[in-house]
Amino acid sequence: MPDEEVLEEGVLNPVQPEIQDPLLQSLLADNAAPATEPSGEEAPNPLPDPTDEVDCVVIGTGAGGAPLLARLAMAGLKVVALEAGPRRDPTKDYATDEKAQNFLFWNDERLSAGQNPVAFGKNNSGTGVGGSTLHYTAYTPRAHRGDLQLHTDFGQGVDWPFGIEELEPYYEEIEHFLGISGPTPYPWDPARRKGYPLAPLPLNGAALLMQKACAQLGIQTSPAANAALSARYYQEGIGWREACTNRGFCQAGCNRGAKASMDVTFLPLAESYGAEIRADAYVTEIERDASGRVTAVVYEQHGRTVRQRCRHLFLCAGAVETPRLLMLNELALNSGQVGKHFMAHPGMQVWGTFDEDIRPYKGIPGGLISEDTHRPQDADFAGGYLLQSIGVMPVTFATQMVRQRKLWGQPLRDYMRTYNHTAGINILGDCLPHESNFMELSDEKDARGLPKPRLHFTAQENEQRMNRHAEKLMRQIWEAAGAKDIWAFERYAHVIGTARMGLRGDDAVVNPDGKAFDVPNLYICDNSVFPSALSVNPALTIMALSLRTADKFLESLRA
Amino acid sequence: MPHYPEGTVRALLQTELVTPATRAALEARLKAPADYTPQFFDADTYQLLRAVAARIFPQPDRETPIELAPAVDKRLTEGTADGWRYDAMPPDREAYRLGLGGINQAAQAQFQQPFTALSAEQQDAVIGQLAAGQAAGENWQQLPQNRFFEEFLAELTENYYAHPLAQEEIGYVGMADVPGWPHVAPNTLEPREPEEVN
Repeated sequence: MPDEEVLEEGVLNPVQPEIQDPLLQSLLADNAAPATEPSGEEAPNPLPDPTDEVDCVVIGTGAGGAPLLARLAMAGLKVVALEAGPRRDPTKDYATDEKAQNFLFWNDERLSAGQNPVAFGKNNSGTGVGGSTLHYTAYTPRAHRGDLQLHTDFGQGVDWPFGIEELEPYYEEIEHFLGISGPTPYPWDPARRKGYPLAPLPLNGAALLMQKACAQLGIQTSPAANAALSARYYQEGIGWREACTNRGFCQAGCNRGAKASMDVTFLPLAESYGAEIRADAYVTEIERDASGRVTAVVYEQHGRTVRQRCRHLFLCAGAVETPRLLMLNELALNSGQVGKHFMAHPGMQVWGTFDEDIRPYKGIPGGLISEDTHRPQDADFAGGYLLQSIGVMPVTFATQMVRQRKLWGQPLRDYMRTYNHTAGINILGDCLPHESNFMELSDEKDARGLPKPRLHFTAQENEQRMNRHAEKLMRQIWEAAGAKDIWAFERYAHVIGTARMGLRGDDAVVNPDGKAFDVPNLYICDNSVFPSALSVNPALTIMALSLRTADKFLESLRA
Repeated sequence: MPHYPEGTVRALLQTELVTPATRAALEARLKAPADYTPQFFDADTYQLLRAVAARIFPQPDRETPIELAPAVDKRLTEGTADGWRYDAMPPDREAYRLGLGGINQAAQAQFQQPFTALSAEQQDAVIGQLAAGQAAGENWQQLPQNRFFEEFLAELTENYYAHPLAQEEIGYVGMADVPGWPHVAPNTLEPREPEEVN
């Protein structure tokens, strides 16, 4: 590894924070925040006794980190989770107000490049104890067998290093643990061994309009699987969670515990088995010894620099912060795949105005699903997509609408008066890995003095063909439903790839068990390890991978 | 297009149908003082920002319009971001300096006066050029016009529709969610959901 500097005995530390952006420099000078001073020869505060070693440190408490944290704690290991964001009490701290809830998002600036720059912040990221699950829409379809073998089936993309049978037992376990509400049998996978534990949530305006129009067009639909409770539900380690009251506010935070975010499911389970979760702990350095083993993690918390020694490290910070930490620490880079093959799901939306009084703020946003488009017969692209109905909150709707339609002045105010008559549908489509889509560290520094990530994304021919197919179909559905003033919004959601899993260390960062090829005691588990994007929302599969990673690790300890 | 009665959200904020955290967020906007002293922009640039915002969200129906400039000035003072930026754009503070300056340059080029001295129709003509990516001015050499307009429009729009009065205007009462929404099908309103008045 290049240009590393030995700062203290046996510890390699390549991170050299410095601030270059003149605006940030002046901002920091104004605020004089001691925690963000460039670290020189010595840390400004003494580090705690470094001999206090735990079995496992887990970085990140979202869908990748939380399930395995619980699994490891239940196995009797001493585990500590480090979460960059705060711990909040949703019942008291959450407002039913989109702008007030902006604290849920990872708001450190990311630079979006390429022909289709991807929006982050509220579109794609989370922070706080629970990670991005604090704001996910709770849409939890399973991946299909074909999603994991795109290359076999189409000669494009890549195959996962294992088949769907490796994930199915975990899907079943998680669906029952979280209390997922959904249809049984599942129309596009009727042979499942276990059905959903709860009945589907009620269909809102957008869902009912889509259901009726699809029936006319011969497209099969079903109430969707959602990780929000259609009835009160009891969970080990947590107790009773109350049913969803159709607030429609999943993407800006559930204040009832009805949505299965990690803070009301796997994390309390983990804590009941002795796991420790440290909030406001922003990891800056991963230390290792001369043999390359990770020895400790250094983080900033409340203005102090803290070192936590560990025997094993689980990096679960999401597909931007995970590769960023690897790059900053020059860790696990031998394959050349860190940051590469960044993928984002085509998430095109089609909106329309209806005679019906819809009130799109009510009900589970993604009420209805169709997977008839998983492998469309008339497709001119590899892979496929799912269709879903979407409800929407007014500020999100208005800001997306102006970005697309550029309305201003009186026409803007006039159009927004039809908000209560608005309904949408969207797709969630597969995305092929491509070499021109990647993450890198930019020269511009953030408030901590660390390089901001820059993400390059350009929808390639396959995504463009899928978008055309989907837009045409969604416009047909909305015309059949009676919509007027139909418009489409091309967008990309979910951050995937950047530290992919594979069979060989020369083209993948982690092996099929989630273990880094280059580092003997480092595991990675989040959406960064996905070899391909899947044609479904990623959260359920990330959780399944998380439990599987924990089990593979525990097996290796016993071996 | 639908119109809704005035006062709906303000009345709901006085009830137990709204949580304390929700009430606090909305009342802070409702009760924001009318006179705001800019911290980031100088006085002239701030007046320019106000003038542009007043054409993007014209409010002839309100005696006291919803002020959209203070939230922009506050955000830029604090240096907070929304998690991402187009790589083609400079940092937000620089983008606003260049973009507002560019709007003045476009006004000078077309009408030989600064933007704030123009009539409403002339101001709309300048904004129309900006929206079409056709505004004149040397600042646009350094700032992609279409991206600046998109970002600026999105920020003003977020601030406008986050305001309780704007939410009354579009008939949104989702903040009054303490009892939940047992009826979610179309055309099934709860008593607290306002009917259209036409």
